[in-house]
Amino acid sequence: MLDIGLNHYMVLSALVFALGLLCMVTKRNAIGILIGVELVLNAANINLVAFSRYQTGAGDGHIVAVFIILLAAAEAAIGIAIFMNFYNTLATIDVDRGDELRH
Amino acid sequence: MEYTTALALGVLIPLISFTLLAFTGHKLGKPRSSYVALLAIGISCALSTYVLLGWLGKTPDEREALAAQAVANQFHWADFGNLAIKVGVKLDSLTVIMYFMVTFIAFWIHFFSIGYMEGHSDEVDGVSKYHRFFTYLSLFCFSMLGLVISSSLLFLFIFWELVGLCSYLLIGFYFDRKYASDAGMKAFITNRVGDFGFIIGLAMVVLFLGTFDLDEAARAFAHQFNTGTGIFEASVNLFGWHVSGGTLATLMGIGLFCGAIGKSAQFPLHVWLPDAMAGPTPVSALIHAATMVAAGVYLVARVFRLLTPEAQFFIACIGCITLTITALIAIVQTDIKKVLAYSTLSQLGYMIFGMGVGAWVAALFHLMTHAFFKAMLFLGSGQVIEGCHHEQDIRKMGGLRKKMPVTCWTFFIGVLAIAGFGIPGMHLGLGGYFSKDEILAVAYERAFNLPALKETDAAADDAGEHAHAIGRRRITSDRSKPASNIALASGVEAAHAPADAHHGDHRTGTLEKVGIAARLPALPPIMFWLPIIIAYVTPFYMMRCWWLTFCGKPRDHHVHDHAHESWKMFLPLAVLAIGTFYCSFATFRPLIHDAAAAATNSPAIVAIDGEAHNLEEAGAGAMLMLNHAPGKNPHDWLAYGVGFAWLIGMGFAAALYRNGLAAAERLRRRFALIHTALDQKLYFDHLYDGVLVAGTRTLGVVCYWFDKIFIDGTVNGVAMLTRWIGSFSGRQLDMPVQRGDWGLVDAVANGMAATVLDIGSQIRRPQSGRIRTYVCITAGAAAVALLAVLYFDQLAAGIDWLVTRTSTLAQG
Repeated sequence: MLDIGLNHYMVLSALVFALGLLCMVTKRNAIGILIGVELVLNAANINLVAFSRYQTGAGDGHIVAVFIILLAAAEAAIGIAIFMNFYNTLATIDVDRGDELRH
Repeated sequence: MEYTTALALGVLIPLISFTLLAFTGHKLGKPRSSYVALLAIGISCALSTYVLLGWLGKTPDEREALAAQAVANQFHWADFGNLAIKVGVKLDSLTVIMYFMVTFIAFWIHFFSIGYMEGHSDEVDGVSKYHRFFTYLSLFCFSMLGLVISSSLLFLFIFWELVGLCSYLLIGFYFDRKYASDAGMKAFITNRVGDFGFIIGLAMVVLFLGTFDLDEAARAFAHQFNTGTGIFEASVNLFGWHVSGGTLATLMGIGLFCGAIGKSAQFPLHVWLPDAMAGPTPVSALIHAATMVAAGVYLVARVFRLLTPEAQFFIACIGCITLTITALIAIVQTDIKKVLAYSTLSQLGYMIFGMGVGAWVAALFHLMTHAFFKAMLFLGSGQVIEGCHHEQDIRKMGGLRKKMPVTCWTFFIGVLAIAGFGIPGMHLGLGGYFSKDEILAVAYERAFNLPALKETDAAADDAGEHAHAIGRRRITSDRSKPASNIALASGVEAAHAPADAHHGDHRTGTLEKVGIAARLPALPPIMFWLPIIIAYVTPFYMMRCWWLTFCGKPRDHHVHDHAHESWKMFLPLAVLAIGTFYCSFATFRPLIHDAAAAATNSPAIVAIDGEAHNLEEAGAGAMLMLNHAPGKNPHDWLAYGVGFAWLIGMGFAAALYRNGLAAAERLRRRFALIHTALDQKLYFDHLYDGVLVAGTRTLGVVCYWFDKIFIDGTVNGVAMLTRWIGSFSGRQLDMPVQRGDWGLVDAVANGMAATVLDIGSQIRRPQSGRIRTYVCITAGAAAVALLAVLYFDQLAAGIDWLVTRTSTLAQG
């Protein structure tokens, strides 16, 4: 059977990161972008946990990962609050429409 | 097929159905998506029946072997430091019986839902929500079954949150209606409060017991209790309050119980359940009556071995308060679903109370019987609401007996069951009769017979059989309350159970329990009398509900004329009615009793088996049994004390509402103050709205004005100051000689500004205002930087080479 090692986690993490980035770049829906951000953060989490498991052996990577999860929750809360205001102002959550600061 | 495999498959099949419906449900459309969900839960139900039948045919030894095998088959998922996280199926009689109950009821409620949703609008803004209903139901079945089979507290917690999510989604199913979405949020947020305590409890379990596994945690707890190590010698400084030893263990138990307070809607957090009736009626039947709200009781049953006597006492208090106040509120409700919701709360209170007084078997038995008859009652109310064109006010119903006979009589069976219909002195009655009687019997023991237990313990001490001095001393030091001497103690003989022949360790377990029993605080008599009184109130409000709905003259002809019933909806009713008659006593009670021995085997707790109907048979196992001299059996007392409660309560209701609402109206005016208080649900909602919601809003307003006045004020003030200084210095330093003639400073400043503008207009080109472009640029820049760092050596070498090459060229 395939022996799963650090490399597999890194590849997985890279894939998740790339997908998250792709999601952030291609989605015009603000919620979609938020989901992309979550994916990117979780890719970082996978890396942290994998390194902590295979390199240091202690649980510090896990703890940082838990902090990042908390941070992601806070970020989502604030993000959604911003989108509510965005929607109240522009009646859409298409982020391409929010370019007024350019002018 | 192995039982663990069958159970795990039964969990996964609804998940497959959920995935399928989530992605293709909108294409499957109105009737077809429901068949997928029905098929999935049907397969789960078949699997669970297979397991149940097989399990019933096994001897206790075989069951033990299977359970051991299930433990051996656990999948080692991950390590968190030293903490191993394992995925596995907890296979014991309790799992098998709960699993069967959930799948069986869920199957018939799915069936009912198909009929129910036919007549309901399912569109919001032209988009059908029909498939969503069954998608969520499938997700719920998956999470609930996962909760039941989890062998580890971590997975129990994960599924616990998942059922909470499903509950939120389904309460707010009609999310375009304000009250429904509000009710969903209320349920979700209230549950978060409870889960906060649950998480603290979990963290303490991991910290002190070092495992998530239910069995391992219980073993560690027992070991620490006996040796006085671990949590029993730890001490924590909590906000300047020094907590140590037994108190810490109690706090752990209370923390875990907080989860049950939220999910089972117990006293301070009970406010969400009545509002949850905003969801469709099948959801109320499945989630908010039969299965999910009972998960709190199931949790307490699972962590029972981690509770100290003090934690148990706390649980009993909460249960007692809940069952009392909610039953009183139920008396004045006029919405048929609200009556049922409050009666659910009251019955949940009975279960939690039962757990708290140590009636492990009785509480779970009550859970099972309650699940059947309450599901049936809710489906009946769904049929009525559907038949009456969404009229829920029982004051406008009446006389529906002839229009919907099947619903009427199945509903009546439910009323009889919840009222505790039975004939005292004979083994004849519905499930509710036996289960409630058992809880009350144990409460009686705890309230009045405890001194007898203490005597037994003293005897055991004298005989030198009691070895665990450390643990006991610890417990003694924690409790200073002397037992109240009750006259009834004399003549009552209490003895611990003869130990199970083939488990040597159970013997010591039992003796330790006697040591604990001697130090149990006696239950205040009020906590025995309140459940007894409420046992009279329950039949009254249920009969009131039934009578107003089905009997008497029709009070609203519009409602009455439309009333009809459909076979798709009354078939499940009939099946559940048969379940109420049969399964409860014949199948459930023995299996729960079988699970009890292992689940209550911890030296720190004492569980009392309340089945004195047949004491000789109940003698085996690790629980503390009470043997009684003939004639002093609490069941004999109770049989005549509350045996006819159903008759009295129901008779009183029938007499009061015989001639419609007039008599009740007079009574209402007589006790206007009490009625108003009960009608306003004892002002809990007002309190929470006034203190918590308004408090949060006030905080928000304060923050808003702080931001507006202080922060914005500072920033704007600085800006104004700068402008003022600027214009002042401009006037002082740079006075133009003529109009249009710039001074030196102006020329420099404007020149700079023009340059900056120039540069800025070049630079701003990439600033498109498109967030997605920025992400691209950032990612590209990061990639370039990364490549530069990674290939720095090559880069440096290349530059070196270039420099050398150039210099060579220049020389040559």
